[in-house]
Amino acid sequence: MATTKSKLLKEWNTLHKNGPFPLKLLYQTKLEGERVMPKKIDRYNDAAREIQRLIEETQDAGEGFRAYGSAWSMNNIASHKDRMHFNGSMNISMPIDETDCHQDNAYDPEDLFLFECGSTIKELSETLAENGKSLKTSGASNGQTIAGCISTGVHGAGLDVGSVQDYVVGLNLIIGPNQDDIVYIEPESRPALNDDFVEKLNARVIRDDDTFYAALVGLGGFGFIHGVVIEAEPVFLLKRYVKKIKKSVAFELANTMDFKNSSFKIPEETDIQGKGNRPYHYKVFINQYSDDPNCVVELMYKKDYQELYPDPFPVIKESLYRDLIHLFVKLTENFPNSIPLLVKSLRKTILPAVNEETTGMLKEIFWDAPYQGPAFACSFGIDHKDSEKAMNLLGKLTRDEGPIPGIFALRFVKQTKATLGFTKFPVTCMIEIDGVLWEKTRKIMSLKEYSRRMIEVLQENNIPFTIHWGKNNDWEFPGLVNHMFNDKPEKWKEQREKLLSPEMQDLFSNEFLKTIGLA
Amino acid sequence: MKHLKFFAFIISMCVLTSCYSVRLRNVNGAPQLDPFSDRDDYYRGMAVVELDTVIKIKLTSKDFTFLIKETDACESGKINIIEYRNTFGGVLLSVITFGRKRKVKIKYVCEKPSN
Repeated sequence: MATTKSKLLKEWNTLHKNGPFPLKLLYQTKLEGERVMPKKIDRYNDAAREIQRLIEETQDAGEGFRAYGSAWSMNNIASHKDRMHFNGSMNISMPIDETDCHQDNAYDPEDLFLFECGSTIKELSETLAENGKSLKTSGASNGQTIAGCISTGVHGAGLDVGSVQDYVVGLNLIIGPNQDDIVYIEPESRPALNDDFVEKLNARVIRDDDTFYAALVGLGGFGFIHGVVIEAEPVFLLKRYVKKIKKSVAFELANTMDFKNSSFKIPEETDIQGKGNRPYHYKVFINQYSDDPNCVVELMYKKDYQELYPDPFPVIKESLYRDLIHLFVKLTENFPNSIPLLVKSLRKTILPAVNEETTGMLKEIFWDAPYQGPAFACSFGIDHKDSEKAMNLLGKLTRDEGPIPGIFALRFVKQTKATLGFTKFPVTCMIEIDGVLWEKTRKIMSLKEYSRRMIEVLQENNIPFTIHWGKNNDWEFPGLVNHMFNDKPEKWKEQREKLLSPEMQDLFSNEFLKTIGLA
Repeated sequence: MKHLKFFAFIISMCVLTSCYSVRLRNVNGAPQLDPFSDRDDYYRGMAVVELDTVIKIKLTSKDFTFLIKETDACESGKINIIEYRNTFGGVLLSVITFGRKRKVKIKYVCEKPSN
């Protein structure tokens, strides 16, 4: 039997210390050992029964419940004031066999895998690599769990790939304590698994596009995500280049996505006519405090996998003195005018080294990110055609009303089909400021005030935008979700109401959903 | 007095520079996490095992091997990250006991069990 440890607590915090948030009880479920229960499917179903028991226990206590994985989200989306469940120990993986596939399945069965909720991106990648496969994309690092990634819309910089949720084929959700409360949802337009396999999960099948795409970026509100079926692809290499180019050229590329006719070319990455190839990944770093007409860009090109390539890992990875970061924060709070100088002096730590070239698998390029203390990140999704305009506006705001201890980066992501996916534009530019977390003083505004001003500036300048669900922002901003997604929040709620009983809607609602008006 | 100060300075420099940590981390594998941990250092959120002890070995033994066992804090029995700390006191202890007593100050995090 899967076992659950629990602990009474008063508060909980994210990895980057964006809380604390109130909490009464924290659960951790561990799977039954494989010596006792050798079959993965038995351990998987056994864990589902345990989760249902916890849901029932929570319901009986009249409280709410929320699962979380790596606690990487930088707001309270993963928290619940009553009970939380750490699902990081639930990491079963199963390849999907051809015989498990639906008769209308259009995927290559060899590319399909079922992962349990608490599997991290790193674990997924390693399992896939053992099978000659790779994820299509990931975030900038690998510590997030698959359930956390899709619930909040984690993305990389795949121009033609999309976000993590965009290679999800089906979802196994636990939506209550009863026998028929285990469901497997996949789009009717693209079925993958047959009913016999779904039956092995003790689940009832729901084939419905609207339900699937609403639950895909479910913000934790569609029940407990127990398993995720994903489509992988044959393993590949990424060749990564870091270049310093004119800002005007970097933004021309950002606004047009036309790498073929750009004046910027990497000689090794051109076609036979000498035109630039389209990269897999494009990222622009902007230090808003610098007058430098140039900026650093990162590009990656997809290559066929080959056995021999230079080791992408350094032998030594240094981390900053935590006391130095603490000093940085204190200087920021008391002498905000020193921020541009501090950013400049830390540029070698913050920015990748120019002219660096690396080759590696996706899992090697986007490797572990060490914890370096409290951090913030505000991330807006905008149409890529607005990227230069938005960057100029947000940069000006950060200089004029700040300074704020962070720098900007822009990444570009293909459109998602998820109802509330924030990568909603044909190519979304995710414009993000990352930095160290500070406390408001007389001399520097709070993070919430800064976030509010960013929203106001984008609205005043008629730039349509979305916000990353897992990042910092002023989530209480009036009418925010409807402004970002028009009528889609209603469609999302409609699907949630169709799937979950009123009691379970309540149980799986948290403060975040209430704040943004989705519960 | 001047000599005494110089001697104290040299000793303190030896003590300070002889205390350092070395951390080794696997490129592959994920660390075992502990949601109940409240650490705020490099190991935030991880299930860390800390060992701070003195191992006594026979005069005839050249070295020793410390075995990592399967426990709650190390479910896989496999190491993911290990950090050892070298201290001036530890070196001194080994010297004055002719290597019979070895100060062991380590932290390690095991691999998260795969399923």
